[in-house]
Amino acid sequence: MTDTSVVLTDIRKSFGNLEVIHGIDLKITEGSFVVFVGPSGCGKSTLLRMIAGLEEVTDGEIEIKGRNVTDLDPSDRGIAMVFQSYALYPHMSVRENLAFGLKMAHTDDAEIERRVKAASAILKIDPLLDRRPGQLSGGQRQRVAIGRAIVRKPDVFLFDEPLSNLDAELRVSMRIEIARLHRELGNTMIYVTHDQTEAMTLADMIVVLRDGRVEQTGSPREIYENPANTFVAGFIGSPRMNLLNAEWVGDGTIRIGKSRIATQIDGKRMAPGDRLTLGIRPEHMNVVADSEGTLRAKVDFYEYLGGTQFLYCQLEDGQAVTAEYRSSVPVQAGDILQFRWKTDDLRFFDAAGLRLRLLDERIVQAPANSRSHQP
Amino acid sequence: MNTAKPSLSKQRRARKTFRADSAYHATGIAICLFFLAPFVITFLASFRHGTEARLPPLPPWPTSGISIDSYLSLDTFGAGIWQHTINSLLVSIATVVLTVAVSLLAGYGFSRYRFPLKNVLFVLIIATLMIPFQSILTPLFIILAKLGLNNSLLGLTLVYVTLQLPFSVFMMRNAFDAVPKEIEEAARIDGARDLKLLVRVLLPLVLPGVATVAIFAFLNAWNEFLAALILLSSNEKYTLPVLMMAVRAGRLGAVNWGAVQAGVAVMTIPCLIVFLLLQRYYMRGLMAGAVK
Repeated sequence: MTDTSVVLTDIRKSFGNLEVIHGIDLKITEGSFVVFVGPSGCGKSTLLRMIAGLEEVTDGEIEIKGRNVTDLDPSDRGIAMVFQSYALYPHMSVRENLAFGLKMAHTDDAEIERRVKAASAILKIDPLLDRRPGQLSGGQRQRVAIGRAIVRKPDVFLFDEPLSNLDAELRVSMRIEIARLHRELGNTMIYVTHDQTEAMTLADMIVVLRDGRVEQTGSPREIYENPANTFVAGFIGSPRMNLLNAEWVGDGTIRIGKSRIATQIDGKRMAPGDRLTLGIRPEHMNVVADSEGTLRAKVDFYEYLGGTQFLYCQLEDGQAVTAEYRSSVPVQAGDILQFRWKTDDLRFFDAAGLRLRLLDERIVQAPANSRSHQP
Repeated sequence: MNTAKPSLSKQRRARKTFRADSAYHATGIAICLFFLAPFVITFLASFRHGTEARLPPLPPWPTSGISIDSYLSLDTFGAGIWQHTINSLLVSIATVVLTVAVSLLAGYGFSRYRFPLKNVLFVLIIATLMIPFQSILTPLFIILAKLGLNNSLLGLTLVYVTLQLPFSVFMMRNAFDAVPKEIEEAARIDGARDLKLLVRVLLPLVLPGVATVAIFAFLNAWNEFLAALILLSSNEKYTLPVLMMAVRAGRLGAVNWGAVQAGVAVMTIPCLIVFLLLQRYYMRGLMAGAVK
């Protein structure tokens, strides 16, 4: 048995003359939970559908469990898929829905019965077995859809935004359910979502995609703490990371508006006057007394969330920053606040948007196929 | 007094509902009468005695006992009522089967596959609805003659299927368009392919469309007169509408009204059966896509 479950080699996809997936290489470890995340139109669903065999691969190879499945039928790939719209067969009972795939594969009746029982026990849908999908609620339907995947005993589970049609509360409980399922079954799971909370909470490995390219892969922590470029920095995290335009002054110092900020960038290839981007997460922006601040900002408006507040502020040079404010001291719109941070919490990106190395920190280099861009 | 008041208002409300309900049901009954009267009159009139039956059908019910004379005399026309009923049934059922089979596949193709000139082809098929079929009867006759299919029920069936297809393909394409693509994809992952996919998964989902197509095909083939009259030439091949024309024309100038009523009754029954069997799906089929 190999320890890689799914291997994508230079996968490309074109619709007519339009290439939408530009050569993706990916190795997915056996038993891991991988989340494809990215804005709409980034190709994450297309990529998943190519792994499923629902979309033809224009170029490249897909291997599942060491077997080249690029040209195989979806049913022969050892995968099962859960769709956003559940895609249950409306004319069949829940039991028939679960058993359909096995019937197609001519599994014997006793075995079908056993597997349907096992799956419905795992998902707690036993009382629903004789109902039609039309008589189920959204959450129940999604369970049945997951059950239909389980009974096939696939090597790889594919989820295409499975929780998008559920209401917020149900989404949270189903998310936990899916995490539990992954722990119990231990199969490789590939999950597509545009919801970064789902990505962060579920994934062993996140693959951030944009415009048909992989921007970064890594554990949720790596992605969050060490984004490879401004896109990933801005995409993961809510509210998003503040990305401030700054200018290199020289000697480890940068300038934002009138404020000068000391950094630990080596700056070997930088000349005074070069543009760069300073990234700082809202939770790292600490409000301090007037004399201690590094950056001054005016509060435009704020969101009170009980345990915390988000302050939407404006710097003197007009740039917008967001800060998380945990103090119980009330803040008013129009207040001028002073902010400070730990130097470790700063992230720097060059003019092309790529992460800059620090003197004392090894940075995960952006993958070779990631593309530079202007923020 | 306090207890009487609510009961009084309750009574008033009950009376109001009763009046509304009676109006509703009275209207319903009146409409039913209008629709059922022709059937009832025909069926009653078809059971009048032989001599009575030759008179104009007024009053329409049997006045001197029930008899099946009219049906017996209907049987003396043409090659016998059984022969013509079987002809009509053969043509109609074959038309339904062929139309459903072809339009199911064509509708699926037009709905799901991408191929060059798809929309042009589809519009071309729909456009044939604008050609009055009477205007192409002569060419049809010549083509059938060349194929050796004139004066044959098969030839007539093929003509009916052809005439029925544009509407049916249109109907089935809409039906397939209404089936979410994901269901088909889920079935493909479950291992259903080609014909299995179509029969086990998709067919049940487009059943309302199929019922609609089947009802239209059956009724049109069953009732069609002109093409049958022109394309069939021998007595024993005539379908019921052609036979009815002969019955209606009468013998030696005398019209046997009893036979006419009996013929109408015989022609009505299969239509009623088909409609009653399929109406549940048919209604859904016509409604498909109406909301949403």
